[in-house]
Amino acid sequence: MRRRDFIAAAATLGAGGLAVAGFEDSQRYDATIDYPGRAIGHRLRDARELPPPSETWRTEVLIAGSGIAGLTARRQLARRGRTDVLLLAGPERHGNAAGGGDGELRYPTGAHYLPLPSRESTHVRELLADFGIITRDPYGERPTYDERFVVHAPAERVWYRRAWQDGYLPTEGVGAAERAQAERFFAEVASFAQARGSDGRRAFAVPVEHSSTDARFTVLDAQSFAAWLDGRGYDAPGLRWYLDYCCRDDYGRCATEISAWAGLHYFCARDGDAANAERGAVLTWPEGLSYLATHLEAAGAGAIVPASVARLRVGADGVEALAVMTDADGGNPRTARILARYGIAAMPLYVLAHVLVDPEKHGFTAGRDLPEYAPWLVANFILDAFPGERPGVPLAWDNVRYGSPSLGYVVSTHQDIRLDRPARTAFTAYHALAERGARAGREWLMRASARELTELAATDLGPAYGWRLPLCTRRVAVTVRGHAMAVPRPGFLSNAGVRALRTGNGPLWFAHTDLSGVSLFEEAAWWGYRAANAITGHPPT
Amino acid sequence: MISVFFVASCGLAYELVAGALSSYLIGDSVLQFSTVIGCYLFAMGVGAHLSRYVTDEDVLARFVDVELAIGLLGGASAALLFLGFAWSAGPFRALLYALVFLIGALVGMEIPLVMRALNAREARFADLVSRVLTFDYLGSLAIALLFPLVLVPHLGLVRTGFLFGLVNVGVAAWTIHAFGGAVANARGRVLRAGAVFLALGAGFAASDRLVYFSERGMFGDDIAYAITTPYQRLVLTRWKDDLRLYINGNLQFSSRDEYRYHEALVHPALQSLPWARSVLVLGGGDGLALREILRYPNVRQVTLVDLDPRVTELFSTAPDLTALNHASFHDPRVHLVNADAARWIESTTDTFDAVFVDFPDPSSFALGKLYSVPFYAALRQRVSAHGTVVVQATSPYFAPHAYWCIEATLREAGFHTAPYHTYVPSFGEWGFILATEDGAWSPPAAYRLPMRYLSAEVTREMFAFPPDMTPPKVEANHLNTQALVRYFDEDWHRVIR
Repeated sequence: MRRRDFIAAAATLGAGGLAVAGFEDSQRYDATIDYPGRAIGHRLRDARELPPPSETWRTEVLIAGSGIAGLTARRQLARRGRTDVLLLAGPERHGNAAGGGDGELRYPTGAHYLPLPSRESTHVRELLADFGIITRDPYGERPTYDERFVVHAPAERVWYRRAWQDGYLPTEGVGAAERAQAERFFAEVASFAQARGSDGRRAFAVPVEHSSTDARFTVLDAQSFAAWLDGRGYDAPGLRWYLDYCCRDDYGRCATEISAWAGLHYFCARDGDAANAERGAVLTWPEGLSYLATHLEAAGAGAIVPASVARLRVGADGVEALAVMTDADGGNPRTARILARYGIAAMPLYVLAHVLVDPEKHGFTAGRDLPEYAPWLVANFILDAFPGERPGVPLAWDNVRYGSPSLGYVVSTHQDIRLDRPARTAFTAYHALAERGARAGREWLMRASARELTELAATDLGPAYGWRLPLCTRRVAVTVRGHAMAVPRPGFLSNAGVRALRTGNGPLWFAHTDLSGVSLFEEAAWWGYRAANAITGHPPT
Repeated sequence: MISVFFVASCGLAYELVAGALSSYLIGDSVLQFSTVIGCYLFAMGVGAHLSRYVTDEDVLARFVDVELAIGLLGGASAALLFLGFAWSAGPFRALLYALVFLIGALVGMEIPLVMRALNAREARFADLVSRVLTFDYLGSLAIALLFPLVLVPHLGLVRTGFLFGLVNVGVAAWTIHAFGGAVANARGRVLRAGAVFLALGAGFAASDRLVYFSERGMFGDDIAYAITTPYQRLVLTRWKDDLRLYINGNLQFSSRDEYRYHEALVHPALQSLPWARSVLVLGGGDGLALREILRYPNVRQVTLVDLDPRVTELFSTAPDLTALNHASFHDPRVHLVNADAARWIESTTDTFDAVFVDFPDPSSFALGKLYSVPFYAALRQRVSAHGTVVVQATSPYFAPHAYWCIEATLREAGFHTAPYHTYVPSFGEWGFILATEDGAWSPPAAYRLPMRYLSAEVTREMFAFPPDMTPPKVEANHLNTQALVRYFDEDWHRVIR
């Protein structure tokens, strides 16, 4: 050993010693906590005084909200030749489709994937073709997708009994009876996926509005998914954990709390096929759905202003709004008055309830019609190196832990096509706090310290990587979403207020995935698309 | 506080033996890596179970024995495996799993014995568990840092093994010293420890020679160069006039017959492109394909993109290697880029008249992506209107599903293909796929340049596939399913058995 090597070795030994001494500390993460919409949201909720408007803006169409619904509406308006459009971005650009970055890394801070669109989702296929994501036959049985965006193998794995195995539902080390029950379940949902009601429509469709209204199926909305499963004899613990995981993943709550109709919709409605991928494949990007939001934004016309709507009403000559702009911390509010011929309220209902003047005139009574909202925690672990893997299937795109109350983590660099794996990556951990009540979960999130939040975020990463995780983590970017999604509780399909908002006839339209009662890109895009078509005089299709 | 030592050593032996040996010697197969760790963990469970049969009076004495046994077995395991691997690949796995199992079982006994020994002497059980496990994990942490950063780079695997063996012996000696009278037959055990210490020390001192002999045994020849880069381990062997390059133990070329491979890779394409000005090589850091390409005076520029600067540096400086590749890296027409070829292809805007893709075989999901429609589509953007691409495509004889899957994938990406194969004695039957935009390509009937291997007749045969190499029915390599990785794995499994 040469002298220089010895010194290097000694220095490293010393560093190792320090690392040992700092073991306790190494459990803590350098974390940034983002609460999108909280400051302005609480200002509106508490109806705090706003300064009078200092100016007036005029536009043909006002869109309030820069999530998928608002951006789809804006794009569709541009396609129909309407460019006199003003979009108020709201407190968070792209809403639930937001993403973030660290150096060259991109990661989602909200939703991160889109299933291959169903046959009915022509509005989604059209924009995917426009963005070059569908390369051939967009409206056919099996479109061809740009494979860079179809999730690459291995797509998912599950940590079960100290080893990783393929898929979400453990099969190795599981008894034959349990496996048979899972097969029975998937056969039953497959037949539901084919089923059509007396109106000729599919029992479960995306967009939800295209689903059959045959009572044979809608009656499922009267009970919880868990009750339906109990009634059908699906009691295998593995299967029930998996179904519960699916409910938490898509609806933010457990199977006991969501409508059986919504539970089945998850499994039956997504029948999109591809020429170059399996059924059930999904589209994903390093930055999640922010990729699509960015493309939607580029495909629209008119200004996008970083302001939120504080008040919205139907006036004599169209729509009137009060826009509020604040500093990043919610302080120093300024306002502007907006006069528009048409308006599209592309915001979640819990915000609409505070902003819309006289919502009862639109048929919506907040006390009666407002859905419950599930809080979510999205945490991006920015890693300087890939932590060593435990035995079994190698690192997949989506990695979940059997029996966990959390939702696992996705790997932001999974879609890279590289000779060598990248030096850095981001693991995005999701947690819907379904183990607490929605309100209790929200309150906990608002109270929790950075350390408590990162510890909760590491619910699945911790057991998967042990001490290697803090060692590899440079920092954690935590996004707290107090009202991440509306929960489709039993009875949601017959929500009278939501139904009333769907059938606006101007000059104000509503566009948000909340109108479908489930939080999906396709639904948000659908309502944005419909509102824009209504304004431009195209009948709904 | 002695538990620090105990437990650190457990962590060491664990991380070392299970992790490094499997990945180093058996290569990158996920299956083998996980079975080794699985076997180790299982054995630890067995060890923990066995520890109950140790009576309370015997605990310390048995602990000393266990430490000595781990020291001897674990310490020598790297050397044993190296030597075993060198001599014979067949029983190697039996040896590997037997060793892993034995060491695992012994390590599994350590912690239960430590806890019992300490429990009998001091502390509340809660404190004890907390302290022992804390130090156990701390030991793992320390080793996790030291092992890759300091020990393996500076000492090498085999010597590191012996070092850990010595640490185990140290723990045994410390135990005897600290508990003195409580250890039965202390004198005898000290002697045993001394013997093991001497054996390991001798091994430690001789480990360079052991590695040399075992790699020599493994590769059969003298080692000319051996370097470990952040990406791979390169070993270059020489026997008389035969130079052989191994990367992670896999043969890359033999100087005796590499001209067959490289003539077949390069000349069918370039002979047909007398107007070709710019050429791209992806991979090929040995500069041998480059040597063949540079023979064409019409070629004005060759861009070679290889990930590993240590490899291209070696092949542009070592005298016997530059003699082999005719100092191709020193040709002024060559533009060397050390970058990830897949990333580079996404960012470059140049176009090329001929492209040669010489990537590692698709043995993992990560490498499989370099044989995919999106990669070939990106490549297609970089090929001039009537240009040609040639892809190294594994063996159509040994891995027919993989080979034809690559062919199908190129077609799916919009290329017209002309598959061909040749016999390279040190590889066996090997395959390439020539791909063009227009499909108006036919094999050359003659070569302008003199060839050692190729002739009009040989070329004709290269593009014909005999009945025992009939294309099987395969699907293209879609990234969603990565059929190619599965095909490749299954094909070679059938060959090796």
